[in-house]
Amino acid sequence: MVASSNSEYTLVTADRVFDATGGLPIEQGAVLMCGSEIVAVGRANEVRAPEGASVERRDYPGATVLPGMVDCHTHNNGFGDGRAGEELAELADEVLTVQAAGNARRSLFSGVTTIRENGPKNVTMFRVRDAINEGLTVGPRMVLCGRPVSIIGGHMGYFGGEVTGVEGVRALTRQLIKEGADYIKITATGGSTPTSFPLLPSFNVDELRAATDEAHKFGKLTATHSTSTQGVINSLDAEVDMIIHCVFKEPDDRDNFRFDIAERIGEQGAHVNPTLHVGRARVWSLIEKQHDSGLSEEESVALDEAKRALDVRLEQNRRMIEMGLKVITGSDSSWGDYQLGNTVYEAELLVHAGYSHLQGVMSVTKWAAEALGVDDAVGTLEPGKQADVLVVRGDPTEDVNALWDVEDVYFRGEKVDRGSEESLAAVRQTPYEF
Amino acid sequence: MSDGATQFTILKAARLIDGSGGPVAEQAAILLEGETIKRVGTKETVQAPEGASVLEVDYGAATILPGLVDCHVHVNGIGDGRAGDELVTLPDEVLTVQSAQNVRRHLFSGVTTVRDCGGKNRTTFHLRDAVEMGIVPSPRLILAGRPVAIIGGHLSYFGIQATGATECRAAVRQLIKEGADFIKVTATGGSTRTSHPLVPSFNVDEFSAICDETHKFGKHVAAHCTSSGGMENALEAGVDTIIHGLHRDADGSDSYRPDIADRIAEAGVFVNPTLGQSVARIRQLEDDPSRALDTEDLDAMRRGSETRMDHVARMRDAGVVMVAGSDSAWSNYEMGDFQTEIESHGMAGMSNMEAIVSATRDSAASCWADDSVGTLEAGKQGDVLVVDGDPSRELGDLRRVVDVYLAGSRVDRRDLI
Repeated sequence: MVASSNSEYTLVTADRVFDATGGLPIEQGAVLMCGSEIVAVGRANEVRAPEGASVERRDYPGATVLPGMVDCHTHNNGFGDGRAGEELAELADEVLTVQAAGNARRSLFSGVTTIRENGPKNVTMFRVRDAINEGLTVGPRMVLCGRPVSIIGGHMGYFGGEVTGVEGVRALTRQLIKEGADYIKITATGGSTPTSFPLLPSFNVDELRAATDEAHKFGKLTATHSTSTQGVINSLDAEVDMIIHCVFKEPDDRDNFRFDIAERIGEQGAHVNPTLHVGRARVWSLIEKQHDSGLSEEESVALDEAKRALDVRLEQNRRMIEMGLKVITGSDSSWGDYQLGNTVYEAELLVHAGYSHLQGVMSVTKWAAEALGVDDAVGTLEPGKQADVLVVRGDPTEDVNALWDVEDVYFRGEKVDRGSEESLAAVRQTPYEF
Repeated sequence: MSDGATQFTILKAARLIDGSGGPVAEQAAILLEGETIKRVGTKETVQAPEGASVLEVDYGAATILPGLVDCHVHVNGIGDGRAGDELVTLPDEVLTVQSAQNVRRHLFSGVTTVRDCGGKNRTTFHLRDAVEMGIVPSPRLILAGRPVAIIGGHLSYFGIQATGATECRAAVRQLIKEGADFIKVTATGGSTRTSHPLVPSFNVDEFSAICDETHKFGKHVAAHCTSSGGMENALEAGVDTIIHGLHRDADGSDSYRPDIADRIAEAGVFVNPTLGQSVARIRQLEDDPSRALDTEDLDAMRRGSETRMDHVARMRDAGVVMVAGSDSAWSNYEMGDFQTEIESHGMAGMSNMEAIVSATRDSAASCWADDSVGTLEAGKQGDVLVVDGDPSRELGDLRRVVDVYLAGSRVDRRDLI
């Protein structure tokens, strides 16, 4: 983005500044930005630009200023209209790149200033990054994996990353890093992909280990999709940095929370990205269909099962939160029925699962930035960090839903032009009571 | 698009220009039914059927016009002065993202139909896929895919280099298979480094094969011609639009050729002179001289532009139909500013109304799209532009866009997603 302001400094004041460094909001706070960086955070009557400097001041009465949100799990290729990943992958790379660019704008305009993308087709996300770097489109900071590392027929294998054996995994890891990957995403179990087995591990531990060793060698983090317990165990054996979904399920589909495994997660310091709302989005979508046109018998069963599964997941995450595990907001949108630009639903559901509202905000700012290894630059409002700043009406530390009520987004110190209210309002998906 | 509940829309304004060149209608109204125009008339006479649900918008002192038709764009382009040879080094995915941004800008500026005169590989077809999926707001797209060029010829880097009548025929068939709506051919070289702008590219037998094959499938041919020899070949081969249409001899000297102008007029071939390119550039440099490249001489540019305008005026006198097509985002001309091209027609001697017709009815005709767009007439598509002021008096009022309707639906011109 081109710097448009003529002033050297931008001073933002509001009723509250929540810097997300661990304390409570600062009442009558201010954030001073210079260029793309934050230079001061504190009480409004104490934060000042240097004598004689030109300052543009923007006051936001009734609002809270906080760090731009960090969504640690997106799928920018996706539509979130219920279509399956294998259908999505049939679209041309050019079309998926256009969709990914639109999704990037959707998340930035919604207040998400950093995303970690969890699996697109081929090089499409690298191309989105190229387009942003060329100044052709705008989007949040991107932590990219390129494409997921998958076994033959494994989950998301259709995105172009099927490999076998230690050498195969190592070679793909190197290839992805060559192409520009910031971290390595691995599908440690099957998933929704029809040729995959969500209750079974995919890679053997030696293969998983090859990915983590190679990634760590180059200073990159790893994350595994794990929808059953053995996948979680294998991931821990391979010292994976983030466990995605983290579903405790036996090979016979039985839900069985494994306290011992959860303890291991805590001991190893791995992050957990539970992706709860993608399940609730499925429930909402089925309820919407029920209202509109009615459900088939199969869909009725699916609705009941989706509700039950969501309850189980909420309960398992309640326990992980109680244990003090590092449970992080990562929306998993646009996947399934969950569309990008709706990250707040996931943060809100983590609050439902046991976080305080303030912790919910932490899970989508500082803690998420730590989980991605980008906390040196983003995630909190501190001098020296990037000026990715969100302004919302109300107080999200009292009610996380205030994060919906975005007044302005600053990205790299520049106020983002988010377009018309109508186009922004259309991004938010409709909730349904159940 | 239209949400079903509002089946009828009535737009009213102080003036209506229907694009056909007739007098400006006063106190006018237009009735849209779903995607199409149902009736055009006065505020008193135009009404929706009894009991129908109607959305009525009175634009007061504004003017209603047809949505503009830009018969020459390059949606791949960036318009920051980079050469096509450089543009083409960007990956197809990046060029498709840029194309999506460009068509959005053009639509929001009042253009509801564009003819793309060549992009890299299949990028423009993929853009259309994205538009049809509803993920990109866009004017109607009339696409060439990639231009047909000789080896090393202008725009050959976009993916087609054909030699001989058989390869030319094959190229046309391949493009039509992929979804081309017309065929763009480069009849001379151009800015492409390995090409020769003063020399014809295809021989007439190759060129004729391209035209014959294209016409066989009911589609038209538009030819890039930056010298007189290229125009002569194009006329002999039977093209439908001559682009640029430079009267320039093989030695580079500008020399107006009345004989060629007469032949163009006789054959009913349209000429898209792309005057806006240099007008836009001259204005840009006048506003900000620091943008000039070392090799650019503003005075020479002005003289060149005047010569072209003189040639255009003489061609019009000879009976040639000149059509507005911006050629943006080629070179330094960004998309979203078709108005400069239309204004350049005014500068070349057209009345304001003639310039408007060149960017509506006539440009639609040159795109073979005048059965559905280009004028405000019952039965045509509900593509409508509303501007403040009166562009028949002040052409610059075309920039004062209030609203754009595409297929009967109001466009959210601030939708940046």
